[in-house]
Amino acid sequence: MKDLFQYTAGDSVIHKLNPLTRILLAVAVCAAAFVSDNLYYLVGLLCFDMLLGLLAGVFGKALSLLKGLLKISIFLFILQILFVRKGNRVFWIITDQGLILAAKVVLRLMIACIPLALMLAVTQISDLANALVQVAHVPYKYAFTVTTAIRFIPQFMEEMADIMEAQTARGVEFDTKNGLKKIGMMLPLCVPLLVTSVRRTDAAAAAAEARGFELRNRTSGYKKYPFHWCDLLAVLVCAALIAGAVII
Amino acid sequence: MISIESLTFQYEGSTEPAVKDITLNIEDGGFFGIIGPAGAGKTTLARALCGIVPHHYKGDFYGSVTVDSMDTVDSKMTDICRVVGMVFQDVESQIISSVVEDELLYGLENYGIPHEEIEERMDFALREVGIEDLRYRTIASLSGGQRQKVAIASVIALRPKVLLLDEPTGELDPGSSRQVFGLLKTLNEKYGITIVVIEQKIMLLSEFAKELAVMSGGSMFCHGPVREVLKRARELEEIGVNCPRVASLAQNLHKEGLLKTPVLINVDEAEAAVRRLIS
Repeated sequence: MKDLFQYTAGDSVIHKLNPLTRILLAVAVCAAAFVSDNLYYLVGLLCFDMLLGLLAGVFGKALSLLKGLLKISIFLFILQILFVRKGNRVFWIITDQGLILAAKVVLRLMIACIPLALMLAVTQISDLANALVQVAHVPYKYAFTVTTAIRFIPQFMEEMADIMEAQTARGVEFDTKNGLKKIGMMLPLCVPLLVTSVRRTDAAAAAAEARGFELRNRTSGYKKYPFHWCDLLAVLVCAALIAGAVII
Repeated sequence: MISIESLTFQYEGSTEPAVKDITLNIEDGGFFGIIGPAGAGKTTLARALCGIVPHHYKGDFYGSVTVDSMDTVDSKMTDICRVVGMVFQDVESQIISSVVEDELLYGLENYGIPHEEIEERMDFALREVGIEDLRYRTIASLSGGQRQKVAIASVIALRPKVLLLDEPTGELDPGSSRQVFGLLKTLNEKYGITIVVIEQKIMLLSEFAKELAVMSGGSMFCHGPVREVLKRARELEEIGVNCPRVASLAQNLHKEGLLKTPVLINVDEAEAAVRRLIS
């Protein structure tokens, strides 16, 4: 889970896309998932997610994401089939419409969660920030806030793991199988995590200021982010995905 | 280059000043070491030198700090930081980007260095620090020592007149620590960059620094040329600063009347002195 947010270098088609196009692609897949009401189309979109992972050279990550979503998906699926009352009864209180609806909800969840995480895994956060500032004219301060938040996620996870390890070493049973008990034990750790995070964020702010954070503007960026033909292609794919979702 | 006049600083919300009545002069082109036990106010002093105190960390500021004839209170922090480049104690929080190249670019872009000059400056910084091969690596894949070097490179790419480092070898093994100090020496001698370094390893400081300041409990205990300061080995040990073993050896020999000079600062000197004594 920890290396999920870490950048994976590569030379794939996806890596060559403009960072903004990559985000657009992810958003388009999500949008298509929510617009479409066709089960087969949704399955197709999930395959498209996996194809994206394959194209970007992070198929393993896509698979582990899918695996991570499995538990919550099963939970959602069961809730749906128990609560949907319409349609013909198939078995006990479960109806055919309930099954279809549950499948759709679960598929949408998976389709919507995977692409953004994948695109972030193959996009350097600084590239994303620079592209947002240069191309989309987002003020640098906002771009920095968002990108710093994303950048800190793996650091916080590492920190949490460290704190938990330290506590385990002193006899706290974090290796318990009881999930609720584990959550109960994790809650008090939020305080030290928060304290170290705030301190670290403050130090990072000081360091950024020392290297001219205040002076940065839209023209500061050294790297340029032009659009190529493959970006156009990707935009067409996005349009096709959404159009397909509306029509089918 | 830097002059500090009776500086006292107390952080907001704290009950005691972190540094008290410090007066110090750092010459242009010097190699200045600051040492002292934990909580002696070293980091606060360093922050004051580059304007982070009082611009980022607020509090009560008395006295004055002048950097390259700019008063740090009246000038903008970014102007001071262009002259004094600081490498922070916690390298992790200093690094902003996820790739080495971007990390170097960050400061250069912000300070508006002309784009045609940027390539040359990056090459210079990477070459001098000896990490040309790491240019396209991700930060996450680097070791502690390599990250330290990236942090130093990102600061010297800005070509500051003063390079200020807060415990740069804190997490390094002895070999890498020496390497870092060797690098500082080169920057000092070859490019005339003034070096100010906070360090716990007295052996390294006494070997590389020209001048030494000892802090204790927020005050300046003593400062001067390294040899002068090391003459007070006994007092230094009392406040919790270890002296190099060669310095203690020299003092003992001096007390016995066997050695003329009371200070030896490195193993080579000690070896030569002992050889002379034996023969």
